[in-house]
Amino acid sequence: MPGELMKFWSNPEFIRHRRAELRPVRAITVGVVVLVICVLVGLSCWSSQEQILDTFRRGAEHWGTQAWVQRLAHEEQQFAQRTWLMLYKWLVGLQGAALTFWTLFSCAQSVSGERDRKTWDFQRVTRLTPAEILIGKLMGEPVLVYFAVLCAAPVTLLAGLAGGLSFGTVISVYLFLALTSLFLGLGGMWLSTLLESRTRGVGLIGALALYLVTALMFQMRMSGLPGLAAFSPLTGIIAVLEPTDQYTSLGTLHPLRPVLFGHEVSWLLMCFLLCGSFSAWLALMLVRNLKRDYQEIRPLSRWQAVGCAAFLNFLIYALLRPGLDSATLSGALSDGPPSWFTDGEAVATFAVAMNGLILFLMGLATLTPHERLNVWRRKRASGEAAAFEDDGLSWPWLGISAIVAYALLVWGLLAWDHTLPLEVGTLKTAAVRLLVVLVFVTRDVLFLQWCMLTRLRQPVVKGVLYLGLYYAAAVVLIVLATVWSPNAGQWMTALLTPVQSFDRHVQGLAFPMETYIGLVVQMVAISAVLVAIDGRLQRPMRLASAG
Amino acid sequence: MRGAFERTKIVIELVHLRKEYDNVLAVGDLVLSIPQGEIYGLIGPNGAGKTTTIRMTCGLLAPTLGRALIAGVDVAQEPERAEQYIGYLSDFFAVYEDLKVWEYLDYFAHAYKMTEAEIPARVTEVITQVNLEVKRNEMIRGLSRGMKQRLGIARAIIHRPKVLLLDEPASGLDPKARLELRNLLLVLRDQGATILISSHILTELEGFCTSIGIMERGRMVRSGRIDEVTAAENPARFVRLSWAGDSLAAVQQHLQREARISQAKLTAGGGAFLFSGSEEDLAPILAALIAGGVKVMSFGEVKQTVEELYMKLSTHEVM
Repeated sequence: MPGELMKFWSNPEFIRHRRAELRPVRAITVGVVVLVICVLVGLSCWSSQEQILDTFRRGAEHWGTQAWVQRLAHEEQQFAQRTWLMLYKWLVGLQGAALTFWTLFSCAQSVSGERDRKTWDFQRVTRLTPAEILIGKLMGEPVLVYFAVLCAAPVTLLAGLAGGLSFGTVISVYLFLALTSLFLGLGGMWLSTLLESRTRGVGLIGALALYLVTALMFQMRMSGLPGLAAFSPLTGIIAVLEPTDQYTSLGTLHPLRPVLFGHEVSWLLMCFLLCGSFSAWLALMLVRNLKRDYQEIRPLSRWQAVGCAAFLNFLIYALLRPGLDSATLSGALSDGPPSWFTDGEAVATFAVAMNGLILFLMGLATLTPHERLNVWRRKRASGEAAAFEDDGLSWPWLGISAIVAYALLVWGLLAWDHTLPLEVGTLKTAAVRLLVVLVFVTRDVLFLQWCMLTRLRQPVVKGVLYLGLYYAAAVVLIVLATVWSPNAGQWMTALLTPVQSFDRHVQGLAFPMETYIGLVVQMVAISAVLVAIDGRLQRPMRLASAG
Repeated sequence: MRGAFERTKIVIELVHLRKEYDNVLAVGDLVLSIPQGEIYGLIGPNGAGKTTTIRMTCGLLAPTLGRALIAGVDVAQEPERAEQYIGYLSDFFAVYEDLKVWEYLDYFAHAYKMTEAEIPARVTEVITQVNLEVKRNEMIRGLSRGMKQRLGIARAIIHRPKVLLLDEPASGLDPKARLELRNLLLVLRDQGATILISSHILTELEGFCTSIGIMERGRMVRSGRIDEVTAAENPARFVRLSWAGDSLAAVQQHLQREARISQAKLTAGGGAFLFSGSEEDLAPILAALIAGGVKVMSFGEVKQTVEELYMKLSTHEVM
């Protein structure tokens, strides 16, 4: 696939988009508009700097002191460079916004748009491989904005160099933007494959949500996982251009940079690692599914899903920034931002909680279509298939993922032991918490699987909504029970949600009885859902009705 | 050796093809072999499983069980290899409106991985074949519906497929366009293409298909060459005759002598009967009538139309 990516200009799908989007008249118009915008932005930057200079001139005339005269001379000397730098920042900002936004939205309509126009089937029956279709669409759908950026690039480069930036910095910013738009484009395309033509509107809302989430990732710079900010295009523009971006604590300055295994690295490297690896996962899902019929889309195979869960777990330990507890004196005097992770216990709790989300996403990615599950059940009945088949239920694989996650937790905590002290009981506590989370996630995923066997339209979406309703109702019940008696509230929390197992006062395996009873209740619930699934699968096959 | 030779002639092979949607059996254990050069008409009511069968055959839909082989290549296992042999046309003629006619065909020629050297000539050839020469450099959005349909046909044949899978291709076409499509398909058949065409408009397939398959509720009710299917359903030939003058008695007398004739229904000037012999065996009967002084105006077997055959089979007379 990398080879095909390099030869994208000869990709038929890219050529189709290029021909359709970049006809000579349109290309010339876009080029002219881009240059006019560059000139207008340049003029407004010049005007803005001129106003600042005017202030200094008036000050120098009014006060006439040597300091004012020197300041004016300095400002006049810096005038051209500052104007160019300002122009550069504006141009990069505009290009960043246009590039990422347009790439995401055009890719988010790529497959669903073809389904809508009913041209998708004709493309699927060609000899184009899924990888070729993927690259053609990724490079082709936003070709107009790529061209616009290409037109603006020489002016931007000139402005950057004249503004005093190094060539490397200018290229770094472009690379950053290219990587984040690649990631967003792939994310948009994946969203697009999940949508039938009639749900395109939902897809656009989803794309907007994805864009906002990605942009807001910028704020992760201040979190315990600062590297995640590398997903945001804002980071590329601001953090790379503003290396003095600093955090102030007790009067000291601390540069904000991402960490990898505790070592500070550049934002560009972090962006390359994160956007690159997540793009690779998205590309894998797309290549697996692009040529499949809508009903047959299954994001990942079972082993790939386990690998993906392991990768996400690995990221937690690779990206975390250890810190001192701000409640302690040494922590309060430290010059870093407040950290989420002050000891092994905090890391373990965070990792287990994140695994709730990771396992749920993995469960979603491995739901089996009704048709395949039917075949699996028949084969299983005749002894031809095992429980761990790709077409079987996903619960055994959730178990495997949880085991892998726990192994990585042990490895991660031991690896960070030198900085984040690990207490003896932490691993035992984490094991029970992970088990509770696994049981709840398994119940929810099996419920979604059951929804897929019913006649609900959009069963997964509705199933997730039902789960949301369940947890909302659980919160209401917990509040009511707590009002009645705090003990009853604890029981209700343990029976209905996994939250109670995260009680900070628990040491080792000494969880309260309600935690274990809650586990048993959920096991019973899982058995009930499994029986319901089996009941659905045993329904006799009907012949299609004619006419 | 002979078996192997015959096997290579089979271009479309469906092996226990089955498709389930939830608890509904859309296509059940379909077994079908279509030799090269056949025009196979898949007929049946809406919901019979024709479209599902065609979509599985061209790889758009994965079968629940079974295999679809095109020129010996498993469509599910080696889709990109199988697609080089397949031209697919459905009942909708969606095209990329923002391309020019030649660009559209050039795109699909490249998508089917034809060599760079042959593409320009082939694009021109196909444009000529579907009578769109004057529109070659026009934008597709400016074409009429009929022209877009012809462009769709050009797309399906651009890569010279061995197999054409046509799902209700004539629905929405005006009579002239249907005739043109029919003629084009006959030309392609003469060039060696094998055609699987589904339709519920039976007159569309009359005199055009060499074989038929009748599907109902996901199952193949009857399949084979039209003559064979007709013969299997009608062991006796339906013969109609007419004569001039008052020869009813003479005709009755002649026909009663022949043991292979049954259900004769004769009126003054004409009638019909069932004959259980071969086509050659009919000739002596005609000769005897003429020799007996009957002024025969017309005498011949009435072939059953596809429509009649379908109506007979679909009313479950053979199930």
